[in-house]
Amino acid sequence: MSEAIRAEGVTVDLGGRRVLDEVTFDVARGEFAALCGPNGGGKTTFLKAALGLLPLRSGRIAVLDTTPKAARPRVGYVPQVKTFNAAFPARVADVIAANRRGRWPLRLTAEDREAARAVLVQVGGERLLDFALSRLSGGEMQRAYLARALVNTPELLLLDEPTAGVDARGRAEFLDVLAGIAERRELAVVLVTHSARAVRRLARRVVYLHTTARAWGPPDEVLDHDLELSGAFSGHDHADRPFCEDA
Amino acid sequence: MAELVDALLAPLSQGFVLRALGAGAALGAVGAVLGVFVVQRGLGLLSDGLAHATFGGLALGLLLGTTSDRAIWVALPFTVLIALGIQYVRRHTSLGGDVATGVFFAVSFAAGILFLGLRPATAAPVNVEGLLFGSLLAVSPEALAVTLVVAVVVVLILAVIGPRLAYATFDPELAALSGVPVPTLEYVLLALTALVVVVGVKTVGVVLVSAFVVIPAATANLVGRTPARIAVLAVVLGVGGTAFGLFASYHLNVATGATIILTLGALFFLALVFRRR
Repeated sequence: MSEAIRAEGVTVDLGGRRVLDEVTFDVARGEFAALCGPNGGGKTTFLKAALGLLPLRSGRIAVLDTTPKAARPRVGYVPQVKTFNAAFPARVADVIAANRRGRWPLRLTAEDREAARAVLVQVGGERLLDFALSRLSGGEMQRAYLARALVNTPELLLLDEPTAGVDARGRAEFLDVLAGIAERRELAVVLVTHSARAVRRLARRVVYLHTTARAWGPPDEVLDHDLELSGAFSGHDHADRPFCEDA
Repeated sequence: MAELVDALLAPLSQGFVLRALGAGAALGAVGAVLGVFVVQRGLGLLSDGLAHATFGGLALGLLLGTTSDRAIWVALPFTVLIALGIQYVRRHTSLGGDVATGVFFAVSFAAGILFLGLRPATAAPVNVEGLLFGSLLAVSPEALAVTLVVAVVVVLILAVIGPRLAYATFDPELAALSGVPVPTLEYVLLALTALVVVVGVKTVGVVLVSAFVVIPAATANLVGRTPARIAVLAVVLGVGGTAFGLFASYHLNVATGATIILTLGALFFLALVFRRR
């Protein structure tokens, strides 16, 4: 099976600081992987490098057997921080259509609306179609962005702490939706999360990133046998008390 | 009633009023369309800064020996370069757009004062007040032609890049991931703003030109619900407000530029009351 992501010796410097140092791991096609680690450990930086948004100092990242930039049309991305311009009059349908077309839809066509509605149905957010983006709750926002990421039928989905700022019920619902979609579509998924419960439930493999890839393997091995990680995620009882709250 | 209409429209029988209406309407329309992007990006002060930079460009033209009318051909590239410089600082430093604009605008304006002072004593006197406040009613046929050409070119370019520029205005990172050339479009937006501001300075002056870019778009933004509707509404407000202000100033025998800006301002405050919530 070829890889969805293959990182070899990836090193990234930002603002004179080494954020990623010789990171090597891979994610197979159709595999659900979790990317974990402390704040500032390089998780978001890795995702951005995998999207071709950041230059590498050295090393190589292949995404879907090509360069990150060339792979972009086949990759869905849900960012951690929603940096959109809140003053911009955007509805959920517009945002989804913009990703589909590669430009802002000055007028939504029936095809745009149908495509947006179809992906919103998959994430349980059909009613959000004509909602103003700036007025969505945290959970609704994540569903809208997940729908946006799915509209181009990606082969790889990158999610950066998608349940941050969402309450416990919303988190559980979102992860249910994500698990269902990943399974149905046989998507490769890289989920950045601090939640041990999410990792155990969804991921086949975990990469623990703290500038370098400190550990890499099945969740039970990584969570149970690495003292640092065990403490980082959940204290002593492995309850779902994230190292860094999702909120 | 017919007599009243005839009296109100009487100014149209005069060539200088027609030229003023043509230049003002073109500036109102192109400034409004451009302003939609400028306002959405929080760059309201940019057009003001570029207007002051234009003063530097016009002064450089005069120092180089051009006439007041021809100085625009020096001011155009000068102001576009300043705009690109502002964008470069925005992109490559942690300074915000307002800081970059503030630095370039002050330096350009100071350079303009210096350029005027360096002109030989035998050079023709310069009407600095005219540069600062413009004179819409004194628009020459040549200035009208330049304004119309710039307006058409800028609107055509915006029609082509508008949907991608709108996406980049919504979220530059997501737009880049969708293949939008965000940095290039941002440079283009600033260069287009510089073009419009320079021709605007020739008609309404340094002090008032930014109002054509900012006020109609800001007003439309208060009441419009989609980018396309906001753009259309901004153009209607820009052209309508300019025409109304021009006629009002003619009949009341008061300053034209100021009356137009006050008309646009009145529409803004009206929209503020009836804005969407």
